[in-house]
Amino acid sequence: MVALPKHIEAEESYLHGGGILSWLTTIDHKRIAVLYGVTVLFFFLAGGIEALLMRIQLARPDNTFLSAYLYNEMFTMHGTTMIFLVVMPAGLGFFANFVVPLQIGARDVAFPRLNALSYWIFLFGAIVLNVGWLYNMAPDAGWFGYANLTESYYSPGLNINLWTLGLLISGVGSVLAGINLLTTVINMRAPGMTFMRLPLFVWSMMVMFVLILVAFPPLTVGLIFLAMDRFFGTHFYRVVAGATPLLWQHLFWLFGHPEVYIMALPAFGIISEITPTFSRKPLYGYPAMAYSTALIGFLSYGVWAHHMFAVGMGPAADSAFALTSMLIAIPTGIKIFSWIATMWGGDLKMKTPLMYAIAFVIQFTMGGLSGIMHAQPPVDLQQTDSYFVVAHFHYVLFGGTAFALLGGLYYWWPKITGRLLNEKLGRLQFWTMVVGFNLTFFPMHLLGAEGMPRRIYRFSPHMGWDSVNLLCTIGAFIMAASVAILLINILLTMRDGELAGPDPWDGRGLEWKIPSPPPAYNFSTIPIVRSRDQFWHDKYGYESGVVPPAPLPAHENEDSGHIHMPAPSIYPLLLALGITMAVVGMLDWLRVALCGAALTLFCAIAMAFEYREAGSENPEAVGIFTGLDNRKVGVWSFIASESLFFASLIATYLVYKGRDLGGPTAETILEMPLVIGTTFILLMSSVTMVLAQEGYRRGDRTWGLRWLFLTIFFGSVFLAGQVFEFHTFYTEGMSLGTNLFSQTFYTMVGFHGAHVAIGVIILLSLVGASFTDWFKERHRDIAVECAALYWHFVDIVWIVIFSIVYLMRSIAKA
Amino acid sequence: MSPQEHTAEAGDHDSRTFAYLVVAGILAFLTAFEVWVSYVHALQPVLVPLLVVLSGAKFALVVLFYMHLHYDSWAFSGIFLPGLALAASVVIVLVGLMVRFFAGF
Repeated sequence: MVALPKHIEAEESYLHGGGILSWLTTIDHKRIAVLYGVTVLFFFLAGGIEALLMRIQLARPDNTFLSAYLYNEMFTMHGTTMIFLVVMPAGLGFFANFVVPLQIGARDVAFPRLNALSYWIFLFGAIVLNVGWLYNMAPDAGWFGYANLTESYYSPGLNINLWTLGLLISGVGSVLAGINLLTTVINMRAPGMTFMRLPLFVWSMMVMFVLILVAFPPLTVGLIFLAMDRFFGTHFYRVVAGATPLLWQHLFWLFGHPEVYIMALPAFGIISEITPTFSRKPLYGYPAMAYSTALIGFLSYGVWAHHMFAVGMGPAADSAFALTSMLIAIPTGIKIFSWIATMWGGDLKMKTPLMYAIAFVIQFTMGGLSGIMHAQPPVDLQQTDSYFVVAHFHYVLFGGTAFALLGGLYYWWPKITGRLLNEKLGRLQFWTMVVGFNLTFFPMHLLGAEGMPRRIYRFSPHMGWDSVNLLCTIGAFIMAASVAILLINILLTMRDGELAGPDPWDGRGLEWKIPSPPPAYNFSTIPIVRSRDQFWHDKYGYESGVVPPAPLPAHENEDSGHIHMPAPSIYPLLLALGITMAVVGMLDWLRVALCGAALTLFCAIAMAFEYREAGSENPEAVGIFTGLDNRKVGVWSFIASESLFFASLIATYLVYKGRDLGGPTAETILEMPLVIGTTFILLMSSVTMVLAQEGYRRGDRTWGLRWLFLTIFFGSVFLAGQVFEFHTFYTEGMSLGTNLFSQTFYTMVGFHGAHVAIGVIILLSLVGASFTDWFKERHRDIAVECAALYWHFVDIVWIVIFSIVYLMRSIAKA
Repeated sequence: MSPQEHTAEAGDHDSRTFAYLVVAGILAFLTAFEVWVSYVHALQPVLVPLLVVLSGAKFALVVLFYMHLHYDSWAFSGIFLPGLALAASVVIVLVGLMVRFFAGF
C-alpha cells in the first residue's frame, strides 16, 4: 500500500467518518487512544469479575465455590490483567496518547504508525495472555510468576507458556510506545514550550516513558530465560544445575518496582491537572513538583530489592534498600503537600473529577504510609505475604492510581467525546466507589495483622476471619455496582449528554483551546507558547505588575485550510500479527513461527518505505521545536533501552560464571584465533558504515553504496564466523542446556548475533532503496544515519562481550 | 550555498573522514593490545581493570566519532548516557548482590 498524505478539511472531528476499516488502519493518536480505552475497559471488567469471583470464594470459611486450581488462575490473571492490561495501558495508551500531543501543541505523535503498531501488539499480547481461559489453562503462578514454580517441572501445562509469551509480546508494544511518546515530548513541543512550561501531566508522563524504556528490558530478559527453560531445556533458575531462582526475582523486581511508578506517575499527572483547574489557582510549587517527579523516577529504579527482604540478602543489602525505599517518600510527600496547597484557599468547584482527586490524595497517602512500614526489613518480615500487603498495594494502586484514572476520565471525557458525563450519576458513582473500596480493602489490614496469608483459596471457620472477609466481599460488590453506574452514565450520555464545548471546566492547558472532540489535525494553527498555563493567560491575561513576554513570530504552519496528515496504514496491524505469530509459534508450531517471521520481515520493510512520494512532508521526518530529527531521537532512545537489555544478559553471564557443576568452561572451549579475526572484521565494519553514511549525507550514492556493500559483507562474515563457532561447540558436545556457561554464552552471544543479522537486513533494504528514487527526497539520508547508529551500537556491545567472555576467559568467577 | 560554505563543508568532510580512519587505526591497535595482554601471564592480576580500561576506550571512540556524539547535539548524549550509566549500575549491583548471596554473605 502506498500511503500518501491526505488533505484534511478544517473542523472535521477525529471521530467523524470511516467504517471498521478506518479504525483498523488508523494512525491518528486520538483514535488509537480510543482503541486503547475500549480495550482497557473490557479488561477492567474482566479483571473485576475475576476479583468478584475470588471475593465470593472468600465470603465464608471452607467455601467450595472455586476449586484451588481455578482460584490460582483467578488471582494470577486478576493481577496480571489489572497491571499489564488495565492500569499501565490506561496511562500509557489511553491518557498519554490522547492528552500529551494536545497539551504540547502537536498535531500527532512523533511516529504515528509506530503508535498503531504498539496498540496492536498490546492487543495481541493481551489475547495470548487470556486465550488459556478457553482451554481451562489460564496462567496460575501469581502475577510475578516466581521461579522455579514457573519451571516446566512444576507447571507443565500451557498456562505459564501463555503467560510468558503474552507478556513478551505486550512488553514489545509498551517499549515501542515509550520510545514514541518520549520522542514526541522531546521533539514535538510547540514553539516556546520549554521543559519548565510543560504541563505537570506531561512531566509525569515523560518520566514514565523513560521508566518504561529502562524497566522493561530486565523483565524481557527474565522472560526470555524462562521461555528458554520451558522450551529449549536450559536451567536458568534451577538449583540442581547450579543456578538460582533468585535471579528471576532480581530481574522481575528490577522491572516490578519501577512498574509501580509507571502506573502511579500518570495518576500524579492527572491530579496535578485537576486540582489547579477546579481550585482556579495555578499549581503550587511547580518547579518542586517537576523535580520531585524526576527524582521519583530516578529513585524508583533503586528500590527493587525491598520486595525481596524475605529471601535473605544480608544486612548490608537490606539496609541499603530500606534507605532508598524510605527516601522515595520525600519527593512523594512534596507532591502531596503541593496538591493540598493548590486546593488550600482556592475557589473549589466540587465536581466529580475534584472529588476523585481529593479521595486520591487521602487514600494514596494511606497506602504510602503502610508502604513506609514495609520499607523496614524487620517489619516487612512480619507482614510479607499477608493480607496487610494486599491492603497496602490496593490502597496505592486502586485507592490511588485507579481513583486518579477515574477522575481523569471524568475530566477529559468531554474533550474525547464532546459530551459531559452526567454529574449526579458521577457523584453517586464516586461515593459508592469510596464506600465500596474502603469497605473492601481497609479490613484487609486487620486480616493481615491477624496473620491471614495471601493467595489462600479457603480458610477454616476457627481462624476468626469470617465476618471481616464477608465485609470485604460486600465492599467488592458495592464497587461492582459503582462500575455499573459508570457504564450506565457512559451509555446514557454518549448520544444525549450535554454538549461540552471546547472548555467546559475553564481549563488551563492547550487541549481546552481546541474544539471538543478535536479535529483530526488537533491544531489548525500550531500554538505559540509564551508562559506556563498559556491558555489561562490567553483567557484572563497576566496578573497586574507582570509584563507578558513579547510575542514570538508567527509560525510557518499557520494555514488552517490545508493541513497535511499521514494517511492510514494497514501495515501496523499486519506487522503486529506477524510478531505475534512468530512468538506464539514457539508453542511447537514451527510453520506458524516461520510464516510470522516472514510476515514481520515483509511488513517491517514495507512500512519503512511506505511514504514513497511523501518526501519531507512525512511528519516522521520533522522535528518542530528542537531542530532534531524525530527518527534520530527515537533510535537513541531505543539504544538506551537496548543497553539495559544487554546489561541484564551480561550481568547474568557474570553471575553464573564459574558456577557450573560440570562440562566445558570459557577457558577450556573458546577458540581465540577465529573470534579475534571476526572481531577485527566487525570493528572494521563500523568504519565502512560511517564512510557509507558520509556518502549518503553528501548525496554521493555511488560512494555510499560501495561502503554499504562492504559493511554488509563484513557483517555477513562475522555472522558466518559465529555460526561456525556455535557449530563447532555443538559438535564438541556443548549444547544449549549443557551447563550454566553454555546457556549464558549461547543466549548472550546469540542475541548479539541476532542483532547483527537484523542490521544486515536493514542495510540490505537500504541498498534496495538506493536503486529506486527513494533517496531523491530530502532528509532520506537520515535513514542511513539511523541504520548506522544501530550498527555501531551492535559493534560497541560486541566490544564489551569480546572483552568479558573471550579475553577474560581465564578469570574463574565474577 | 555560497562558495565559501561549500568549501567549508568539503573541508569538514575531509577532516571527518580522516578522523574516522585514525579512529579505525586506534581501534585496531587497542584490540591487538587487548588480545596481547590477555595472553601475558604476568598481567593476570591486573587483567580485569586493564581490559575494562581498554574496552572502555574503544567503546568511547566508537560512540564519540562513529556514532557522532562528539559532533551532534548534546540532546543525544542526554538520552544515551543516563541509559548507559544505568546499564552499568545494573551490572555492578546485580553481580554484587548475587555474588554475596552465593558466598552466603
